[in-house]
Amino acid sequence: MERQEEVRANILNIIRDRSESGRLISAEEILTELKRRGLLTSEEIKPKTHLETALKQALQENRDVKEILAPNGVCYYYSVRRLSETYAGILVLKSENPLWLIAEVVRENSKRYPRPVPVAGFMESPFDLTLEAILECLRVMGEDKEYQDIAQTITSVGKTFLYSSRHLDPDYASMLAEWLDVGQADNP
Amino acid sequence: MAKHGGWAGKVLRVDLSTGKISTEDTLEKYRDYLGGTGIGYKVIWDEVQAGVKSFDPANKIVYGVGPLAGTGAPCNGRTAITTLWPTCWPKALVASGHMGGQFAAELKYAGYDAIIIEGRADRPVWLSVWDEKVEIKDARQLWGQGIRRTTIEINQQMGPEASVAAIGQAGENLAPMSVVMNSYSHSAGGVGGVMGSKNLKAIGVRGTGSVRIAGNKEEWEKLIKLHLSLLGANNQHVVPSNPQPWAEHYNAGSRWMASAGRRWGAANPSIDTGACEPHNLNRIAYRTNNAAYFLGDKAWQHTVRGNGCTACPIRCHTMLKVPAVSAKYGIPELGQNTCVGLLFGRAFFKSFPDGPKGQTAIEACMVGMYLADDLGVWDNYGQLQRDFQALYYNGIFKRKVAEKEFNSYSWNKYEQGDPTFLFELLPRIANKEGELATALGLGTGHLLERWGIPEQEWLENHDLLYWKLGHPKHHSNEDAGQCGVIINTQYNRDAQCHSHSNFTRNGLPIEVQKRLAAELWGSPDAVDAVAAFTPMNAHKAKMAKWSLLRKELHDCLSLCNWMGPWVASPLKEREYRGDDSIESLLYSLATGDKKSRQELDTIAERIFLLHRALTIRDMGAKDMRTKHDTIPDWVFTDPKDKAAFSKGTIRMDKEDIKLAMDMFYEEMAWDKETGSPTKATYRRLGLGTVADELAKRGLLP
Ligand code: SF4
Repeated sequence: MERQEEVRANILNIIRDRSESGRLISAEEILTELKRRGLLTSEEIKPKTHLETALKQALQENRDVKEILAPNGVCYYYSVRRLSETYAGILVLKSENPLWLIAEVVRENSKRYPRPVPVAGFMESPFDLTLEAILECLRVMGEDKEYQDIAQTITSVGKTFLYSSRHLDPDYASMLAEWLDVGQADNP
Repeated sequence: MAKHGGWAGKVLRVDLSTGKISTEDTLEKYRDYLGGTGIGYKVIWDEVQAGVKSFDPANKIVYGVGPLAGTGAPCNGRTAITTLWPTCWPKALVASGHMGGQFAAELKYAGYDAIIIEGRADRPVWLSVWDEKVEIKDARQLWGQGIRRTTIEINQQMGPEASVAAIGQAGENLAPMSVVMNSYSHSAGGVGGVMGSKNLKAIGVRGTGSVRIAGNKEEWEKLIKLHLSLLGANNQHVVPSNPQPWAEHYNAGSRWMASAGRRWGAANPSIDTGACEPHNLNRIAYRTNNAAYFLGDKAWQHTVRGNGCTACPIRCHTMLKVPAVSAKYGIPELGQNTCVGLLFGRAFFKSFPDGPKGQTAIEACMVGMYLADDLGVWDNYGQLQRDFQALYYNGIFKRKVAEKEFNSYSWNKYEQGDPTFLFELLPRIANKEGELATALGLGTGHLLERWGIPEQEWLENHDLLYWKLGHPKHHSNEDAGQCGVIINTQYNRDAQCHSHSNFTRNGLPIEVQKRLAAELWGSPDAVDAVAAFTPMNAHKAKMAKWSLLRKELHDCLSLCNWMGPWVASPLKEREYRGDDSIESLLYSLATGDKKSRQELDTIAERIFLLHRALTIRDMGAKDMRTKHDTIPDWVFTDPKDKAAFSKGTIRMDKEDIKLAMDMFYEEMAWDKETGSPTKATYRRLGLGTVADELAKRGLLP
């Protein structure tokens, strides 16, 4: 195997290993990992462009490997064989602002399925927010015009769901929340 | 066919009046009806006259299984029990109940595809089926015992491998609202009293044979793997309930509950259910936790494992261990069941001191399972509990029951959500003690008649979910708009059809569901997003027909319609497609009788048509459209008075539903005017003699 190919294969292994554990990896972390595993020669360690070229080529040649741009401008890599685009999207949002994370997840669900999202869901993996953090986010959202579409509806058993009014009107959202929380279980 | 596979080859017939035990050749007599409900309907059509009542000795019970029972096909543990239905009101009509567990497989291993029970024993008996050795045994010492004790006693005689289907006191006392149950939690509702009327306490089955697979064994293995790969969680929910690394989609309403950190807390040691990546077929059993799904997060700490039917990796009967109930209620700390069986006790109460998903609610479930699954009380898909709440809170019990009897119940406990109330209520229903309990044990239709309550009140009440003939809806407009409504018009009990709801609830985004719908039923417009229904179209009628035929097919093959059909999957690489041919592929390889999907669907249509013919014959009416296929008024209402087809309502439109029924009858090639199948349709499906018989009675359109 040519040296270039070998480097690319090592990069791919690192990305796929990281995806296997449910996480993303940045170019910088790939470099660190290559070094840690002793997979780069001393000449290869320095030039950043060397890694960038190898990474680009690895991406082109392997359709399972994807790149995702985080709002902070950092690119992350993952393999869709182990980690879905949806999950990767949640992880990059999570690395940023929880307000944004909640809002984007709620908007996506309201638009795509369509369905509202239970607030309690954000306390679970992979969101892992505390209830206090979620409530604080919702308070801030209420005052920020960027998030005025994020609305709440409460089911008959008291569970709060979030939805985006850009995609669901209040009656529809409350009906869908009731269906998810109470209706389906009452009509098993 | 050379030597067939799949079928055991014999049907066992037991006349309890004469003690005569005989067998007949399955394929000679029933081949055109596959098995399960197919054999059931055929026997009732040929041998039970119109006008016979459920508890008459002339009524028969057919315990039918299909060619896939006892094979390695996933989810094959279902036994269909067909008889004249005692809760069908105002008169008994044909229907079937379905129990999972191990009975179906054991029956095949003993060498039988069905047991036909006829007549009435002159004393309590139980039937022992041990391969070809079949005996009617004295059950006087078992009479009066609950299902658990009966099962244990028979297992002590036949060995732990035997599967025992027994009735409790409810069945013995001819309460129509009673079950037969095997493997401790797998019940078929409505049948208990019919067995009781025949003095038949139980059937114990033990088989030492096997089921032959006719086709190439490697192909069979490959097919089983394919089928397993298409499985979702229970009810074929194909996406997990919260985001998983592997999953593109998730849905808070999914029964796919597994996730890293969610543990079966009462297993020893406790088990992390983990990510359950769909290609890992050895972890399918971790996906579903119906206790956590229905009872909330608290249930995880009480979960021991999932239990279920033969060859089914889903294990939808979640086993719970709640140590507190031993000391508090004097009942075992272990209990297991699924869906309405799991919720049996909880559903009586309007509220609990610690909320609907608190500890008391879980305890009410434990008490409910302990009592109902031993006494053999049926809840008619939750109608018993809905009726109970309405009758109590509307003051009807107080008006209809003598004061002394009314006051003998601790209503304060009931209102406070105290599970000990169930110890007062459920044994009385099973033992028909007093007016209140006796009336509840009759089923809704007969109860309303007995107490002079117009059925119309129930038909108008949205909360009661009552549909017709004494039975509730089962996945109707709330799940699939017009398609659900059509399906709920067709049976003589709750429809028990999941073909449509397993699709609409699968958790995939609406655009994916529409793409799959276009492939299956010819247009994306066959399905709508929940509560965003659009007017009727021909593709919805196609979906309704497909749903009904697949349900009937599953009931004949012994596949679980609580899981199938498998037309969606969790597999992204298949673009979430399942395989619409899985049933015919399994059937062909197992039996050696090669049938395409369409050919097998045609057989299912014949069987469904025979059910229709039986209903027409026994009702003595051909105008099914107005006399049978009726729709309750609540379907056309909305709590906020939102108009039909607006977003956020499941309300249907009367004119549109008329059109839906027109389109459905057309799709079935039935007469639109009456909703009765035409002579040509009977003939096309090989039921010419049935048509002739109906013609003689003036029952053809
Ligand atoms: S899904 Fe449940 S009821 Fe159906 S076969 Fe499996 S265990 Fe039995």
